Amino acid sequence: MHRTLLSLWLAALAVSAATIDESARAILAANCLPCHGEPKMGGLDVREIGPILKGGSRGPALTPGKSATSPLYLALERTGDLKMPPGKQGLPPHEIRVIRDWIDSGAHWPREGVPTGSAAPEPAWWSLRKPVRPALPEVRNAANAPSPVDRFILAKLEARGLKPAPGASKLTLVRRAAFDLTGLPPEPAQVAAFLKDDSPKAWENLIDRLLASPQYGEKWGRHWLDVVRYGDSSGYEGDIYYPNAWRYRDYVIKSFNTDKPYDQFVKEQIAGDEIWPNTLEFEGSYIMPAQKQIDLEHRLGTSLYTIGPMDPSSLLNGEQLRYERLTDMADTTASAFLGLTMGCARCHDHKFDPITQKDYFALQAIFAGSEPRDLAIDVRKWQEFKKGQTKLLELEDLQDRISRLDQAARRRLGSGGKQSASDLAVFYTEGERAEREGLLQSVAQVALKIPRANPTVTVLTHSEIVPEIHLAIRGEFRNKGPVVKPGFPAVLSATPAIVEVPGQPLARRKALALWLTRADHPLTARVMVNRIWQGHFGRGIVATPNDFGRQGDPPTHPELLDWLATEFVARNWSVKAMHRVIMNSDAYRRSSDVLQPNSDKDPDNHLLWRANRRRLDAEGVRDAILASAGTLNLKGGGPPVIPPLSEEEIGALEDASQWPANHDPAAAARRSVYLYVKRGFRVPMLETFDMPDASFSSAHRDSTNVAPQALALLNNDFVYRQAQAFAGRLSRESADPAVQAASGWRLALGREPTPAELQKAVAILSRGASQPGQPLLDFCLMLFNLNEFLYVD
Amino acid sequence: MSTNMHAPLHRKTSFSSRREFLEQSGGGFGKLALLYLLGLDAGAAASNPLAAKPPMFPAKAKSVISLFMHGGPSHIDTFDPKPALLKLDGQKLPESMRGVRLQFTNASEAPLMASRRTFSKHGQSGIEISDLFPNVAAHADKLAVIRSCHHEAFVHSMALNIMNTGSARLGFPSAGSWVLYGLGSESQNLPAYVVMLEGGTKAGPPVYGSGFLPAVYQGTVMRTKGAPFLDMNLPAGMSNAEQRTMLDDAQWFNRRHMEERPGDSNLAARIAAYELAFRMQTEAPSAVDLSQESAATREMYGVGQEPANDYGLKCLMARRLVERGVRFVQLYSGGLVNGDDWDGHAQCDKNHQRMSARVDKPIAGLLADLEQRGLLESTLVVWGGDFGRTPIMDGQLFSTSGYDGGRDHNPYGFSMWMAGGGIKGGQIIGATDEIGFNAVVDPVHTNDIHATILALLGLDHKKLTYFSQGRDFRLTDVGGDHMFAERLLKG
Repeated sequence: MHRTLLSLWLAALAVSAATIDESARAILAANCLPCHGEPKMGGLDVREIGPILKGGSRGPALTPGKSATSPLYLALERTGDLKMPPGKQGLPPHEIRVIRDWIDSGAHWPREGVPTGSAAPEPAWWSLRKPVRPALPEVRNAANAPSPVDRFILAKLEARGLKPAPGASKLTLVRRAAFDLTGLPPEPAQVAAFLKDDSPKAWENLIDRLLASPQYGEKWGRHWLDVVRYGDSSGYEGDIYYPNAWRYRDYVIKSFNTDKPYDQFVKEQIAGDEIWPNTLEFEGSYIMPAQKQIDLEHRLGTSLYTIGPMDPSSLLNGEQLRYERLTDMADTTASAFLGLTMGCARCHDHKFDPITQKDYFALQAIFAGSEPRDLAIDVRKWQEFKKGQTKLLELEDLQDRISRLDQAARRRLGSGGKQSASDLAVFYTEGERAEREGLLQSVAQVALKIPRANPTVTVLTHSEIVPEIHLAIRGEFRNKGPVVKPGFPAVLSATPAIVEVPGQPLARRKALALWLTRADHPLTARVMVNRIWQGHFGRGIVATPNDFGRQGDPPTHPELLDWLATEFVARNWSVKAMHRVIMNSDAYRRSSDVLQPNSDKDPDNHLLWRANRRRLDAEGVRDAILASAGTLNLKGGGPPVIPPLSEEEIGALEDASQWPANHDPAAAARRSVYLYVKRGFRVPMLETFDMPDASFSSAHRDSTNVAPQALALLNNDFVYRQAQAFAGRLSRESADPAVQAASGWRLALGREPTPAELQKAVAILSRGASQPGQPLLDFCLMLFNLNEFLYVD
Repeated sequence: MSTNMHAPLHRKTSFSSRREFLEQSGGGFGKLALLYLLGLDAGAAASNPLAAKPPMFPAKAKSVISLFMHGGPSHIDTFDPKPALLKLDGQKLPESMRGVRLQFTNASEAPLMASRRTFSKHGQSGIEISDLFPNVAAHADKLAVIRSCHHEAFVHSMALNIMNTGSARLGFPSAGSWVLYGLGSESQNLPAYVVMLEGGTKAGPPVYGSGFLPAVYQGTVMRTKGAPFLDMNLPAGMSNAEQRTMLDDAQWFNRRHMEERPGDSNLAARIAAYELAFRMQTEAPSAVDLSQESAATREMYGVGQEPANDYGLKCLMARRLVERGVRFVQLYSGGLVNGDDWDGHAQCDKNHQRMSARVDKPIAGLLADLEQRGLLESTLVVWGGDFGRTPIMDGQLFSTSGYDGGRDHNPYGFSMWMAGGGIKGGQIIGATDEIGFNAVVDPVHTNDIHATILALLGLDHKKLTYFSQGRDFRLTDVGGDHMFAERLLKG
């Protein structure tokens, strides 16, 4: 016992020594280099320890071991005549303390990327240590803990004197499972079958059926799309459309549906091109060879890095564009795969985590030399497309002729201001008007003949020149610090630098992907099982799924997290296997009722003595409305669907032509995951229900509860039209109010009404009304506005 | 609906008025929902993110009206006279300044251009204001003109982001969201953060979005025509009474549902949200019903007088909103309707004559009206835009006939002004250089402006933080200094 403590203490000490040296160097780099780097003002150069010891015009800058007589430290303390850095403000006190401690501990100079020890010491912070499979804890009431998951949870509950809530009813469970796994309400027939099934396998079979449905990937793919800040457009001024982003969305959905092992999913997204190298050139046939198609599928994962937010005006400055892209790549990678928020380290060493600024730029350097490229995937269509380009010349000619007519009319109108086309129309002569009409018709005919888009994929490739990455002092890319080589965070890896052989193709991302997917990586499996857990309980074991660092919440059940992480790897990184493990626990199947005295001891249910009642997410609200109304179109995949919006909804948009709504009602009734994700403009109803901003990785959905949500469900055009469809559906089934009411209940709420509810519902449906059908329509709209519709027990 | 709701709630919001209101409001209101709204149920109150909160220290202002000139008004032609430019007109920039980065203009070639406007001193303070703002100039003694504003973003979207969220990057909460997060809402039946647009902004809704703050804090777009807010019109063919009946039915079921699930404050909160929504629907139209305003008041704002009508309506509504406890109102002049805004790349003078004629009288009317109603003391009015404009002519991108009297974007030095909210009017803070390119005396960064707005509202910008992406964020990020708030107050 004592030995363990001692070795832990020593390990912690080793880390802090390594961190102090690294930190001191980074502080000097971040604050002193503009003057005491290349410019060597006062003769002092702090880029290496040799020149520091040699010092400048005032002599040696420091004496190792003696901060009290070291000019460097005294200047930072601003006690003598020399005050550094110049200006009113000195360095923050904690940074000055680091320099003092560093000098006093001997002023060791860390070499690039190599920690001071020969092997990386065991990190002090829990999430950076390898998960070790824990033994199952002993519980007093073992009969209550049939699954390993329950053993961990029950042990905590018993220790705190909390009594688990009883199991939820089968009715509650089928609705909970359906929304959790597919994001849709259970079909009435499915509910009935499950209720009737008394076999011991009924629950497992239900889970299997739900996991096998294509709607599973749509629900869980959307979880992942949040994490990787998915968007179909660039954001910023212009908010340009990314025509191939949807291929990545479909790739994600398919990956979940086929239960692609998570390690492969990680490898494909980070380095599909480097791990499965393939030129994807055609070889004498219009049909892409089968192996190439498989490699293309792997490679599609890298689209992740081609769909981030981008200010098109950055195109004015190549270096800025590259820097912003690398920033997005590094930040998204750290948040999504490592569960570490590294964005802070862009500007300074992470105050709380042992991630240094150098680590951050080492991660950027992994992505240096990687850029998006469009690859043609259908030669025949490519040829047609290119052939059709002459049609554009024809269009140009027609446009010229039209504008000549307009100019003539404008000249007659006289000078002054802008005139809209309709203002101008008055001034055409009879002949001009006819000619213009004819020309417009020709435009339409030519436009119809222009071949549709050339099918391409946008994936990551290597650029001709691989730029060197400099540490950006205070995060400003024009303020260049030392060159940083590609590598992993030093605290996580004994060999942080990626070894490169000159002349070999770039394989930096491959190195990152292989490192991340090692079975014993401390973060990869933990971070993903925590996301899966959150999807089932509404809260992760670590409540901050994108921050497993010191700023994040500590795990409520650390041993359970490690057990799940090791189980995940042991089960070949199968996400579906983890759903089964979690959902087969009693913890998942508890009632959501609040019990005393539990709620006094653990009001937020951190220890999971009950299930959490949860509001549907934005997509869930819209999809459940469509499903109840019977209009839901389950077609999957393809380019984004742009739903029609009311004039007032579209009003906030920069330019309504940027929202070319799809007017086929069947298309507009597709699942929400297929709707256009425009970074500068969220579909208002989805935004009202907390769909996240797609600028950054989003780890968790808010679940707010505000009046605009009520207004949307009461008055929104879409909701009202769906209520009409719902009413139509019910009236086609039967003219009997009792039958209509019961059916409405089953479709919207997944259960039979109680006698009292039925009586009230029939009374509502039998009211006199100004128009026939109005009571049924009001009834359907009411169902959408019930708390029970929005909340899952 | 009770008549007392027509009376302004501003400054008088208290539990008693809320209680009074709630007791009189019809239609199935659960006890829990009542407690929730009254903030009496601790658990439920904690779950209402919009509950009114006290400031961190005594506040000078309670509300903010932001007058935002979309596109970027030229300081040189409005609030920052540069007589030196008259001598330098047509010459090139001094050698040392030619390296400056601009969006469309080559700074080493473009000629300097003096303002075509006439500046004169106004009020007792003698602040110089150009003839583009004759009506606003009459209120010179109310204004604190900050002539040394600056930030880093020289393209619109990033500048709009930085002016509104403190950061050029996407995804950060707007100032209004931070204010709401810090102070909550005093308004019973109106959104607490209202934005009026002229066809959207070049950076889209994110400029009034809540970024990583919960969505409840985002700005709500209000329109001057038709239903004021989104989803506020009843579906065609449904009457108010019919909807009330439907809602009563829904709440009947909702209450039963809640009673079977004790201890869940979310369910009570949603029942309350429905009542708020229904009330908003009936009350908001009257809050913005300008027929209740006298002809003299309407005249004062330029309502009914082109080209001032639209902005006049906005300013008048802003006053009515502030009266009713709305916390933050932002009024855009210019936007994406026909691309008509203050972005004077070509013939800047002509552009500004057109744009200022739309806003001058309405803004003056707003200042006068706020003052006569005793609201100016507690309402901070802030005037500004994306950035200022260059003293050199815009490059040739926008004109086929060479330099065309335009001005390019200039974030390096520009003017804003503030009035009301306890600040001392009739003063000038900071200065740009001789030609108006860079802020040189007492430079005030956008972060400082934001820190100051928060300070006047009783919020410390360093303590108003929200944890996201691994750290505590704030409106001013790592910058910001509210020291000049002291100067604004004392003069």
